[in-house]
Amino acid sequence: MKYVILIHSNPDPWGHPTSMYTAEGRSIPQAEHDRMEKEFEAMLAEISASGEFVTAEALADPASATIYGWTPEGHVATDGPYAEAKEQLAGFFLIDCATRARAEEIAARFAGPGSTAELRPAMWPGADDQ
Amino acid sequence: MTEGGLEDVWRECAPHVLVALVHRYGDFDAAEDAVQEALLAAARQWPAEGTPDNPRGWLIRVASRRLVDQWRSDQARAVREELVAREPAVPAGPEGDDSLGLLLLCCHPALARPSQVALTLRAVGGLSTAQIARAFLVPEATMAQRISRAKARLRQVGARFTVPAAAELPDRVAAVAQVLYLVFTEGHTATTGTGLTDTSLAAEAIRLTRTLHRLLPRAGEVSGLLALMLLTDARRAARTRPDGSLVPLAEQDRSRWDRARITEGIALVEATLPAGPVGPYQLQAAIAAVHAEAATAADTDWAQIELLYRMLADRAPGPVVTLNHAVAVAEVRGPAAGLEMLEPLLADPALRRHHRLHAVHAHLLERAGQPDRARAAFATAARLATSIPEQRYLNSRL
Repeated sequence: MKYVILIHSNPDPWGHPTSMYTAEGRSIPQAEHDRMEKEFEAMLAEISASGEFVTAEALADPASATIYGWTPEGHVATDGPYAEAKEQLAGFFLIDCATRARAEEIAARFAGPGSTAELRPAMWPGADDQ
Repeated sequence: MTEGGLEDVWRECAPHVLVALVHRYGDFDAAEDAVQEALLAAARQWPAEGTPDNPRGWLIRVASRRLVDQWRSDQARAVREELVAREPAVPAGPEGDDSLGLLLLCCHPALARPSQVALTLRAVGGLSTAQIARAFLVPEATMAQRISRAKARLRQVGARFTVPAAAELPDRVAAVAQVLYLVFTEGHTATTGTGLTDTSLAAEAIRLTRTLHRLLPRAGEVSGLLALMLLTDARRAARTRPDGSLVPLAEQDRSRWDRARITEGIALVEATLPAGPVGPYQLQAAIAAVHAEAATAADTDWAQIELLYRMLADRAPGPVVTLNHAVAVAEVRGPAAGLEMLEPLLADPALRRHHRLHAVHAHLLERAGQPDRARAAFATAARLATSIPEQRYLNSRL
């Protein structure tokens, strides 16, 4: 089953990895950042080797977005961000796991200082035979 | 011959060609790539030039040439050629052992489940990376990487395609069975393409399970798995309406069930169950057989199904088995008894966010004369569903 891990964060200034640019992240010593980054890289290597990793992207500053709305007269474009939310979508990972429990185990490791990981199952066009 | 017929020919040959190459050259990883290229060459050439007289020989020749070309272009060729020269020619054992060894290798415990599935479909099923990627809705590059990493992992752990010792064999065969069942369930509606040569993954799972059954005719759980697949697949045409919406088992037009599949599945169940020991696949197949034998939904022998679920709960207990058992209990002893069994599951961390628990809950509440609570349970089930047609069905019940 496929799951998306959405990374919500509000780095200021906008930058990646987000943990280097959030207030929570800045209060952590560099050695701790290095340790967390190593752990994260090891986890990415693990899910790549296992075939569970599908794809991922880090996203540009929400201010660079263009928002398209629909009206009966046609589409209306405005410059972003989409909403003045406290946390913005900073990136996403698409994973393919055998079970929800496994997806949860992976997703938990995507939370970082000043960023929240949201796990969402992807819908699929098939159905179980029950 | 149609293009689909040709594809059947080269895919039937694929595992034998791979085994021949590994015997000759020893390198599973490179041999597997070379076979894949030979299959692609067959896909290009056979429809235009006709099937060769000896398809297997043709594929072995082309794949060997690719493998040798690959080595020649390799910088470390001197070392490689020396290795090949030193490698003693492995005498080919009985063909059956080779096919089993190949299946066991693809489902090696060092590999994660998605990798086992991908490698089995490619190396044993003879599907192309592109076909497998389409069936599992992932980019082709992702699937290619998954397969090459799986092969690297096999090399790393020194896995070989020999049949393991008798003590280890049942566990290894169980892993193959799980992989094939996963291909079957995930592939229930998925096809590998959009053209004439589409292969349904469910059909592929049945084909590979047939092979496994032929290799291990006395393995009861393999027979059970094959029977379960046949009896489930028999209902495929009746499961969906032309608009793609789902038809629940009780409402299916049973004249559209595939009689040939049902006859074969029931015969397997009847031959296997008395031979014992009875495992979970055999019991699930027996349950499917009871459904298949009922002329109408009202004729279903629920008492027998309830008994089979009790046996299944005894051998392979788990919340999903309890859920299905509760449905049978409700049919035999009424909705209140079923609801009582569901109660603890509503708090079970493994199941409480699974749509099917709430869908069953909703059905039983409805039958117990509690329409308001039933509607709320249908709403919960619909929110949790990740299948588009199932969610549409559940939303229609609100």
